[in-house]
Amino acid sequence: MPLLLEIVTPEGRVYSDTVDTVVLPTAQGEIGILPGHLPVLTQLEAGELRVQKGNTQESLACGRGFAEIAGDKVSVLAEQAINIAAIDESAVENAVRRAEEALKEKQTLAPDEVERLEGVMRFAYAQLDLKRRRRG
Amino acid sequence: MNRHFQPSAFGASSTRDIRRRIKSVKNTRQITKAMELVAASKMKKAQQLAVAGHPYAALLCDMLAALSHRVERLEHPFFAARPVKTRGILLITTDRGLCGPLNSNLLRVVTEIQEPTKYVCIGRKGTQFLGRTKRDLVADFTVSDKTPFAEIRPAAEYLIKLFLDGEVDTVEVLFSYYRNTLVQVPLLLPLLPLVNLEESIERVRKQKGAGESAVKRDDREMLFEPDAAIVFEALLPLFLNREIYQCVLDAKASEHSARMVAMKTAKDNASKLLDSLTLEYNKARQAGITAEILEISASQMAQSA
Repeated sequence: MPLLLEIVTPEGRVYSDTVDTVVLPTAQGEIGILPGHLPVLTQLEAGELRVQKGNTQESLACGRGFAEIAGDKVSVLAEQAINIAAIDESAVENAVRRAEEALKEKQTLAPDEVERLEGVMRFAYAQLDLKRRRRG
Repeated sequence: MNRHFQPSAFGASSTRDIRRRIKSVKNTRQITKAMELVAASKMKKAQQLAVAGHPYAALLCDMLAALSHRVERLEHPFFAARPVKTRGILLITTDRGLCGPLNSNLLRVVTEIQEPTKYVCIGRKGTQFLGRTKRDLVADFTVSDKTPFAEIRPAAEYLIKLFLDGEVDTVEVLFSYYRNTLVQVPLLLPLLPLVNLEESIERVRKQKGAGESAVKRDDREMLFEPDAAIVFEALLPLFLNREIYQCVLDAKASEHSARMVAMKTAKDNASKLLDSLTLEYNKARQAGITAEILEISASQMAQSA
C-alpha cells in the first residue's frame, strides 16, 4: 500500500506522486513516514525531504511549513519547495549574499522583515547543503 | 485623387475632413485592438495564477478544519470581536484606467460607507480617489502584474498588525470579485475578527469546487506536533495572508477581463463609426462627381445653344 505525497506552495502544486516512504524535517527532528502512519499534523523546518520510491531515492529542499499525514496521504504545505536536480547553485548563492547583506543592517529592519530574510537564508542553505552533499 | 474635386456644396473641404476623421478612427481602432489582445493574454495568466493557488488553499483549510474543533481558540486575538469604532478596509483597485466601470463601482461602495474608517490601498486609482475625497488613507502598496505572493505579504501583515494594535476593529477587503469574463462585482469581504472560522473555511472550499475530499478520511485521533495550539497559531496568519492574496488575484483577473471587454466594445464602436464615415465619404465623393458632370454638361449646352 503506497503513500500519496503531495507538496503544495502558494504558487501551485509542485509535487504529487505515490511513494513508499517519506522522511520529513520537522521542528523536532526528522521523522520517517511509512504507510499506515498515525494521523499527524506537524510543523516543518527548512531542510531536506527524502522520498523513497521503489529503488530510487529523491531529495527535495523545502522551506518552512506544515505537513499533514492522514489516511496514507502526506500533504506538505510549504512556502517553497524545489527538487534537488532543479537547484541552480549560483542563483542560490546570490540569494544568500543578498539576504546576508540586508541582514547586516539588522537594527534598521523591521523584526518581521528580519524573520522573512532568515527564512530565505534557511531555505537557501538547505538547498546548497543538499546540492553539495549530492555531488560529494 | 484630390484634384478631381472642385469646391462646391460637397467639395474638397468636407471630403478632406471626412478622410481625416476616418484616419483618426482607424488609429483608435488599432490601439484598442492591441490593448484588447494584451488584456486577453494578461487575463489568461491571471486566471491561471488564481487556479494554481487552489490546492494550497484547500490544504490549508483542511488543516485548519482538523484543528479548529481541537483548540480552545477564544483566547486568540483574531477571534476577539470588539465594538466597532473604526473599520479597516483594504481597497484593491487598478493602477490604470480604461477598464470600464470597474473602479467607479468600487468607489461608489466607498462613498456609501459612513462610519469612521481607515483605508489601506492597493492600486493607484484608489489612492488618488481617497486622497481627493480626503479620506483616512493610512498606507498604500503597489503590486506588479505578475502578483507574486511576496508582494502581497507586507500589505497583509500590515493589516493584521493594525488590527492587533487596536488601530482598527475590523479588517475587510473591498475588491472586484471575478465571477466571469463579463461580470465582475464589487465585494466587501470581512476577514477579521474571525467570528466564524468554520464559515470562512466553508466559503473557501465552496470556491474551490470541493472535489478534494474524495480521499479516504482517516478517523483515528490526530496527533499534533509540537502541540495543537502552537500549530493553530502558526497556521492562522498563513490563512489570512492567503485569503488576501486570493482577493488580489481575483481583482487582477477582474481588471484584465474588464479592460478586455471595454476595449472590445471600443473597437467595435470604432468599426461601426468607420463604416458610416466611409459611407458618408463615398456619398460626398459621388455628389462631387455628379456636380462636376452637371457643370460640364450645362456649359456644353450653353455653348451649343
